[in-house]
Amino acid sequence: MVISVLIDFLLAAGMVVLALQVVSDKAVLRSIILFVVFGLVMALAWTRLHAPDLALAEAAIGAGVTGALMMMAWRRLLIINPERPADTPLGRSRLAVPVALLSAVLVATIGLTALDVESPTHTAGQVAAEEMTATGLGNPVTGVLLLFRNLDTLLEMAVLLIALLGARAISPPASPEEAAVVETGTPLVGALLAILVPLSILIATHLLLAGTHEPGGAFQAGAVLAAGGVALILSARLKPGERPGIVMQLGVTVGLIAFVAIGVGIMALGETLLVLPGTWAVYLIETAMMVSIGLTLALLFAGAPALVGRRG
Amino acid sequence: MSQILGLAILFLLLNLVAGLWRVARGPTGADRMLAALLFGSTTVAVLLIMAEWMAMPALRSVALLFVMLASIVTIAFFGLPTGDDER
Repeated sequence: MVISVLIDFLLAAGMVVLALQVVSDKAVLRSIILFVVFGLVMALAWTRLHAPDLALAEAAIGAGVTGALMMMAWRRLLIINPERPADTPLGRSRLAVPVALLSAVLVATIGLTALDVESPTHTAGQVAAEEMTATGLGNPVTGVLLLFRNLDTLLEMAVLLIALLGARAISPPASPEEAAVVETGTPLVGALLAILVPLSILIATHLLLAGTHEPGGAFQAGAVLAAGGVALILSARLKPGERPGIVMQLGVTVGLIAFVAIGVGIMALGETLLVLPGTWAVYLIETAMMVSIGLTLALLFAGAPALVGRRG
Repeated sequence: MSQILGLAILFLLLNLVAGLWRVARGPTGADRMLAALLFGSTTVAVLLIMAEWMAMPALRSVALLFVMLASIVTIAFFGLPTGDDER
């Protein structure tokens, strides 16, 4: 009992200290590394909160994509302006203290109000948990995401597509050299990729299949696939391309297409909108979503409309 | 047994706190990066013990992801300009 309280206290205090360091550190690289460490502690915190699905997502996205993304962003900043403009600290805004105080008051008010609220006896979560056995899915998170609240999930897929289009609209096309940090001839990288990339596909498939009965699912699997893609982009095996071919376009949209096709097509059989006809539909949509999520994240990382393989 | 596992997790977390000192002090970016990678390994150890301690086998998948993906940040770090210190 005492031990678990101590562990939780260490994790909570560690997260606060790390978060403060990440935003206040003047050296950008140190901030980035601390942010990666923050992701590790965050995954442990989700674990202690009995949310392994979130710990998986944090591990896949935090370790596989965001850390590398921030380092690439910093590298590009240095290319744009070698004088290290990012290191010049901005003076603290005069609004900082009032805004912080107001936020603290807001959080305290909500927290104190929440203490007085009686916990409801009959919640949607309970109903979902009771109905879970009838769905044939063992993982309640997948059940909620794909069956009970699948409109949210569908719209999330749309948001991801819009994010990609938005990024493409405002960012200039990246030159092929910018995305890669390791020349193709560097020793050991090829051997690392030979292990890493097949492993990422294998583990993504495992997470996808496991997602119906234990923690995992399309989002985590997609992020793992994207991490494999990021490794290929960093080592110049995949290069940013100019024009997306039909495969690329289909890959980005297939999650949305499959979801809408099944969700709307079911209405022809007299069912309600988005009532999925069975576990096979869940598997099908999750697989399509995994491909779209993985490809979208990799494209966002490359900052390009398409990816092309290395020639020769 | 549960006590011992809890104590092991606590010990590993205290290791993390000690490692933070290296991230903060540096002196070079590579030192900080290596410390962060050490954090990754320690986190994997914590996750594996927690999987047993909290009876949540799924945590082994989380540990697996961290092991697999640690190399990606390293590749990204490889491309950064090296120098004595980034202040």
